[in-house]
Amino acid sequence: MLNSWVNQPRPQQPAVAWFFRPAAWMKGIIALGLAGVAHAAPAADEGWQDLAGYLFRDAHDAFTREPAGADRRRALGAAAGLLNEPPVSPGKVADVESQLRQLLADKAADEPAIYARYLLARIAHLHRPAEIAEIEAAYRAVITAAPAHPLAQLAAGKLALVLLYQRPDLPVPARIAAAAELAPVAGSGQLPETACIYYRVLAEAALYYDVLDERTLGWLQRAEAVGPRDVMTATSLRIQLAEVARALGHREAALGYYRSYLATAARTDSRYHTVAERMADLAKEAK
Amino acid sequence: MKRRRLTTMVVLVLLIGTYLYSAGRLVLRRGPAVVDPGIEVIRYAHWQIEPGVREAFNEIAADYMALHPKVRVEQMDIPGRAWKQWLRTGLIGGTAPDLVELASYENPDDMLARYFTPITTYLEQPNPYNADEPDLRGLSWRQSYTAELVPVEGVHYFSTNLLEYYGAPSAMVTVRMFYNRRLIQEAIGEDRPPRTYDEFVALCAALQRHAEVTHAPVAPLAGSWFNVTQITDGLFSAASQRVALTLDISHDLEMSKVEGLINYARGRWSLTTPAIRTGLQTVEAFGRYLPPGWSQLNREDAMMQFLQGRAAMLATGTWDAGGILRQADFPVGAFKMPAFRRDDPKYGRWTLGPLSEANTFAGVPFGLTRTSRHPERAIDFLRFLTSRKSNAKFSRISTWLPVIKGVPVPKGSESFRPVEEGYVGGVNIRFFSGEANQVVLQYLYLLSGNAASADAFITQTRVPFDRVFRGELDRLARVSRETLRQKDSVLAGLYQLEAGTGLARAKFDRLAANQLTVEAERLRSLRTLADYPGK
Repeated sequence: MLNSWVNQPRPQQPAVAWFFRPAAWMKGIIALGLAGVAHAAPAADEGWQDLAGYLFRDAHDAFTREPAGADRRRALGAAAGLLNEPPVSPGKVADVESQLRQLLADKAADEPAIYARYLLARIAHLHRPAEIAEIEAAYRAVITAAPAHPLAQLAAGKLALVLLYQRPDLPVPARIAAAAELAPVAGSGQLPETACIYYRVLAEAALYYDVLDERTLGWLQRAEAVGPRDVMTATSLRIQLAEVARALGHREAALGYYRSYLATAARTDSRYHTVAERMADLAKEAK
Repeated sequence: MKRRRLTTMVVLVLLIGTYLYSAGRLVLRRGPAVVDPGIEVIRYAHWQIEPGVREAFNEIAADYMALHPKVRVEQMDIPGRAWKQWLRTGLIGGTAPDLVELASYENPDDMLARYFTPITTYLEQPNPYNADEPDLRGLSWRQSYTAELVPVEGVHYFSTNLLEYYGAPSAMVTVRMFYNRRLIQEAIGEDRPPRTYDEFVALCAALQRHAEVTHAPVAPLAGSWFNVTQITDGLFSAASQRVALTLDISHDLEMSKVEGLINYARGRWSLTTPAIRTGLQTVEAFGRYLPPGWSQLNREDAMMQFLQGRAAMLATGTWDAGGILRQADFPVGAFKMPAFRRDDPKYGRWTLGPLSEANTFAGVPFGLTRTSRHPERAIDFLRFLTSRKSNAKFSRISTWLPVIKGVPVPKGSESFRPVEEGYVGGVNIRFFSGEANQVVLQYLYLLSGNAASADAFITQTRVPFDRVFRGELDRLARVSRETLRQKDSVLAGLYQLEAGTGLARAKFDRLAANQLTVEAERLRSLRTLADYPGK
């Protein structure tokens, strides 16, 4: 089985053979007639496939082959392609911003508008210089506009990062508390993998700031409860849980997490023996 | 006058002769073989020109062609120095072979996305060439691998950004110390590899004494920057394992490169940290037995020293084993560099024990190019190549370690097997960046010779390392900004493709999670640089 875009071998035929076949002529005429109708949808699909495959120039070409007209999704695709079309330049980023703002101005609440609002926040955060207040406001606008939307969840996760690491004006406990307050949106079950990482990000920020308390353990527990699919994330979480529980004096819980790790660790995990020994040491301490 | 005419005649004859010879060569040259249109030609390219590897690939290709007479499999072995240019030209020109060896440092994400076909769906199907193996026939192709191809950062067969498998690996390699058994026997009276680090240093001393007594120009160790760093990497790491655990910010028992750099910038370790100094002292201990001028030599020079019997030991990857065994006219042994014991009074204080090699990942993966004229056939050959029978044959002929479940390690290669029982690694100052590596290489000579001194090394490198480590943290933040930006567009594409069928756990969700992780790490690095501006 092959994906459709892989080049397929073609049977060898004389180049002019088709010219003498009436059926081939008929097919050609029908195809020409349908081409104008059928072109738009495949080009858009091709554009999204190209975007998903890091082929930004191809994506932009696919979306702009014909004028977008009233097709707002196509306009969004063109903007998303242009954003990373090489060579990336401040001029292109500014063009993308104005295209996205136009999308928002035309209609403020449909799917393309929600995505445009999210991309504008991302542009402010990562693609051009902006004040932190502007970045925060942009993410909050995404969350407020459609709090139950998956993109609001993404925006909340990013906002948490801003609060954790880009607000030196706040004392460390306030940074962590502000990021944790976003849990109802950032930890939503709509995107479980993203939710899991959000909780892990909270815990790791606390550890970075040398804050090791019950909340840290709680965030790791919530991350584990969501359950990441990725094998290495899942096994690392079990070690983190064991180590943090151990540091907090929760010996039995720590032993349980160590055991859980040892039961599930991949064969290529070089931490196995170290974990086994730490567990044995802790078990001895317990006696 | 006559003489001048003669000279002219000679020159003319030479010119005409050269012309006729060249024209003849051109006329008689064999043109490209005419291929029967009914024959499918599969070409596969790699840069593993080590003795044994090409032969192994050829035999497997012959087996495949015997099974499929309408298929011709052609091996293309391209020297490593020409690989990059050769591959890029082929990919851009649409003339790349069907299957190409992949390496994460050679094939960035955009290259994979544009020129290679993801093979994830194939890997999740059974490998039909394992149908006769009762224990494998129910498993997917991916599960037939010993370590089941865990998709982690840094492996060559999986892209953590594209979240797809692109390669099916065929072999595994480790680093070992190869030794001349005859010379060791003569020097210490027995053919026994050292079991502890002290024994290793004592062996070096015994070999040097033996050379002095016998007036034989034999060095204990073959030296070159490459081969010496194969030893120092393990020593730096093993001497500082306990310190690495204290620098592990995320508490997952694995100090990442970024965690090491962040904690360096925060002043939580430095070259004068006792464990780091100890690591340097371990090198100082054996460095005095390196041959003069070793730091100017390269891999080939060191290999030559060893094969000519001018050095008793050579540290290198097991990819060189086939060449060594074929070319050495003396019996060769191999051992894993011994670790220090925890009760070692000099080096043991911050060690946990031998380094684990469990994460040695399967290598030599072949990827399927998008321009392949026979993609199904190419995948079929790749399945054949990585079936249990073929992998056993590959391993036996090349001496490289097998990667498929149940394939025995070939006789003579047992000591290459990764040691899985070891502990996590420590702080290796060379691994933090390319520039850190350059600083180590530039000053490593201070840890060798009769005046070897860890303190001299620290004095000379403290300032460069300060600059390099902070610079690397900044560089990593800049690089990850580029990939994070790209993911914004990629996620837009995935969202449109997957929203209709559900985003939870889909690629969109997984990539968004990955982006959040990377972005957190980037902002943490920037926070550190801002909060700890350095001198």
